[in-house]
Amino acid sequence: MLEWTEEQQELRAGLRRWCDALNDGRAERERASVFDHTAWKLVGESGVLGLPFGTEWGGLGQGLLTTMYVLEELGHSCRDGGLSFSVTTHMVSTGVPVQRFGSAYLKDRYLPGICEGSTIGAHAISEPDSGSDALNMRTTATRRGEGWVLSGSKTFVSNGPVADLVVVYARTDPDAGPLGVTAFLVERDTPGLSVGRPIEKMGLRTSPFAEVFLDDCVVPAANVIGRPGGGFLVLDHVMKWEILCSFIVNVGQMRHRLERCVDYARSRTQFGQPIGSFQSVANRIVDMRTATETASRWLYDTATRMERGENVTVDIATSKLVASQANVDTALSAVQVFGGNGYTAEYGLEAELRDAVAGVIYSGTSDIQRNRIARMMGLDKRKG
Amino acid sequence: MDNTEIITRYLVEEFLPDVDVTELPPDYDLFAGGVVDSLALLKIIDWLGERFHLNLEDIEIAPDNFRTVHAIDSFIGAAGAHLVGKGMS
Repeated sequence: MLEWTEEQQELRAGLRRWCDALNDGRAERERASVFDHTAWKLVGESGVLGLPFGTEWGGLGQGLLTTMYVLEELGHSCRDGGLSFSVTTHMVSTGVPVQRFGSAYLKDRYLPGICEGSTIGAHAISEPDSGSDALNMRTTATRRGEGWVLSGSKTFVSNGPVADLVVVYARTDPDAGPLGVTAFLVERDTPGLSVGRPIEKMGLRTSPFAEVFLDDCVVPAANVIGRPGGGFLVLDHVMKWEILCSFIVNVGQMRHRLERCVDYARSRTQFGQPIGSFQSVANRIVDMRTATETASRWLYDTATRMERGENVTVDIATSKLVASQANVDTALSAVQVFGGNGYTAEYGLEAELRDAVAGVIYSGTSDIQRNRIARMMGLDKRKG
Repeated sequence: MDNTEIITRYLVEEFLPDVDVTELPPDYDLFAGGVVDSLALLKIIDWLGERFHLNLEDIEIAPDNFRTVHAIDSFIGAAGAHLVGKGMS
């Protein structure tokens, strides 16, 4: 088990103090599917957006594990699941790849705004015809003079409708397989880039997503993240961070859900006794606790080994599989523990269940994670 | 066994189970032939690091270094020289 220092605990407690204000008006925003710029400004002021980024750019200079530990508190204390999702999307889509692979120019130009939240980030990966098969993308980037010309369209771009900066992955070499993709940092007002209307969705409704269209969009060569052809490695790094950071937020949400269920099971009485005394309810809550702890351990253990430089390809996929399913299962269990109340919008649990379903789809569906694990286990090979 | 043979055997065993080692020419385009996709590339990079004791943070993962068996072989040689130059071998 990890033990957290006093400094790490203070960082986490510091974020907790901001969350009451973030929760104001959550239900109304959720109902209206609205991204709240005022809440976003508060998030920026809390410092959470700059957690893993260098202090020279206005960040807090924390490592992956501390970042996750504080983000877990965001999930625990902030009831706006969409807002929390926008936070991690912003952080991992733009700041993380720029800090890891970007030039000094890109870091100096963009990281300060990313850290304070005045620049909202997004990344454009999926396309209408390439979702799980993301690297089979049709969006192209062709070299022209001092820049690159991007053409194509992307879909399911989280934060897209509110983004100031989009990392677009495009094919720069049709014959180089996974090494023919390049990551570009594109400013929202670049001619040729347009964003469609927000797409209605099941959950995470306060985190808008949309299509992004690229019509002969010229991007300076200096805005390539890493090197041409290196987009796959950028994406691999980003996906690891996205899974660890997004799902540790879910762990925080699961802990809060569990606390609510324990409290409810001890205070709600039926047949003259607290419902927690009924074994079927108690077992359900025990299963929620087990799922939450299992997800937490997978995520922190994988992050610890990633920080050591170990190969975590299988563990990332397993962590994602375990945590996303745990989130769905515990959200459904919470609705069941609360019964009729759980089914109402007022209690907020039905929204958590709708939010949780997104997790078994984004960052690689559960089916794709199983495929990855199976291939890494060599299950696709005949025994010779 | 030289590096070309070691690499060829690995690629065939991992990604071309129905192909004989002699059927994979050292100049065969692994990308165009669909042998190397994203997950395969991750496995190859990890294997190269372990098998040839390369520090993958220090070397260039570029398309032309992974396109053929010959290219991977040259890449390993260059990376090895690079490590010698840094006094790490």
